[in-house]
Amino acid sequence: MVQTMTTPPLPPALSLSGLTKRYGARVAVEDLTIDVPAGVVAGFVGPNGAGKTTTMAMLLGLVAPSEGGGTVLGAPLGDPAAYLGGVGALIEGPAFYPGLTGAQNLAVLATAAGHDRGEIPGLLQLVGLAERPDDRVRGYSFGMKQRLGIAAALLGDPKLLILDEPINGLDPAGVHEMRGLIGRLASAERTVLVSSHVLAELEQVCDWLIVIDGGRLIFQGPATELLDRSGASLVVAPEHPGDLDRLRDLLAAAGHDGEIADDRLEIVVNGTDPRRLAAAVNRAAGSRGIVLSELRIARTSLEDRYLTMMNGDDR
Amino acid sequence: MTRTFRAELLKLRRRRVAVAVLVGATAFAALASTLVFLSAADAGERVSGRGATVASLGQAGGATEAFSIGVSGAGILVLVLFIANFAGEFSQGTFRTLLMRQPRRVGLLAGKMAALLVLAAVALAVAEVLTVVASSVIAPSQDVSTASWFGIDALGEAARNYVTALFGVAAWASLGMAVAVFVRSIPVALAIGIVWSGPFEHLLQDAWTAASQWFPGLLLEALAVGGTADVSSSRALTLVSLYVAAAVCAAAFVFARRDITA
Repeated sequence: MVQTMTTPPLPPALSLSGLTKRYGARVAVEDLTIDVPAGVVAGFVGPNGAGKTTTMAMLLGLVAPSEGGGTVLGAPLGDPAAYLGGVGALIEGPAFYPGLTGAQNLAVLATAAGHDRGEIPGLLQLVGLAERPDDRVRGYSFGMKQRLGIAAALLGDPKLLILDEPINGLDPAGVHEMRGLIGRLASAERTVLVSSHVLAELEQVCDWLIVIDGGRLIFQGPATELLDRSGASLVVAPEHPGDLDRLRDLLAAAGHDGEIADDRLEIVVNGTDPRRLAAAVNRAAGSRGIVLSELRIARTSLEDRYLTMMNGDDR
Repeated sequence: MTRTFRAELLKLRRRRVAVAVLVGATAFAALASTLVFLSAADAGERVSGRGATVASLGQAGGATEAFSIGVSGAGILVLVLFIANFAGEFSQGTFRTLLMRQPRRVGLLAGKMAALLVLAAVALAVAEVLTVVASSVIAPSQDVSTASWFGIDALGEAARNYVTALFGVAAWASLGMAVAVFVRSIPVALAIGIVWSGPFEHLLQDAWTAASQWFPGLLLEALAVGGTADVSSSRALTLVSLYVAAAVCAAAFVFARRDITA
């Protein structure tokens, strides 16, 4: 079942209705209806083969939908020429002419799109390639090619930026750098749609989430709403493990049922303010002479929430 | 189309490309002139319109005859280069990158093709000039008179040979582009192009003489030498034009309609 959390607060940068793509008998994207408000960084998340790249390819006019339609920047999906001037994209990895330099590759793309080639030095500076603009792309590392791909996507200062797995294949430093770059690219005038099969990679930069699996929409809405639904638990550990059963019985009698996991007690926070609950637990333990060595609030991460949804436990 | 044309020219207007054209044209001129002059028959008629004679080389068109004969054998090279270029855009994913910037697909294909043909036209012109130079150097050693090589008639012959060569190159290029668009894979497209235009058509010609009147590669060879005993140049020109038009239209249709998934 699709969970639509809220109505998008702003006019959508892109709006899809019943978008479907079939390859013979295989359905890559099925009846996808999504709205992405203008100005957000939207994470497009799903496992490998979920239909993320196919959806993005349809947005970019590379793949024709089998059914459905929508608008991108207000123009109909069936007329990519009407809106692609305002869209920048990196899809299915960076693809450049290996024998040309980074700057030459950008010049070719800028000329093909009718953009000002004067913006190329600034873009190379932005993505951290200002030192090597005249090196041939065949000598670039994968991370450098990814950054050049971002620079290419930014040609013409697009209103909508579509990035397909930009973090894939990068080393930890590259992931950190790319995440920072994506965060910097977002602005009130620009919407960013960025896909990943690992939500943790996007959790810190996304304020809007679209989750798909098997080509179908699972969730769309503000990332905070998904987090709010994730809930929290209180983790309690007595100084002496022998007190664990006594502590559990004590708290259960006070209406706070918990489960023992290893040498800790986990109490699900159900609508209660977790800090008040922590105070109550601390007081109750102290009143019976149980010294606590650990008392903390554990929030379920977006990643945990996402994995729960992917496992089909909460759709 | 204009933007794609200019973008493609950016790729071609590089020193590396210029050097490659110059080296290739020089090698072509030296090889074609040497082979044609050394193999020129002493006298008499050409066999099936092919080859040169000492007499034909001494005429107004003699200065560029080596160029014409050389280009007629270079068709398969043009086919290979265009297949590699267009199929390479698919395999590298650069068509995808370009289409996100220039979604009018037929215009993109036309612009790219036009820019490559401009380069081919320049390369042919350079090759023709260098072949005249090489032929002028070799001619005296082969007792070929160059007295008729530098008049108005010679210039007309040079222009005619150039246009014929350019038409042939454009035709081979279009067929190569079409094969690349249909197949998209460099090795498979090259295999199809080379096997078809090389062994297949010539083996077919050995088994069935009328093949030379119908098959594009054989027709292009006939056209390059101004027609043969089996095929007139006008028939070759008409049929080749039809084949090329059909191939280009089919390629444009397929390119415009097919999903870009690589």
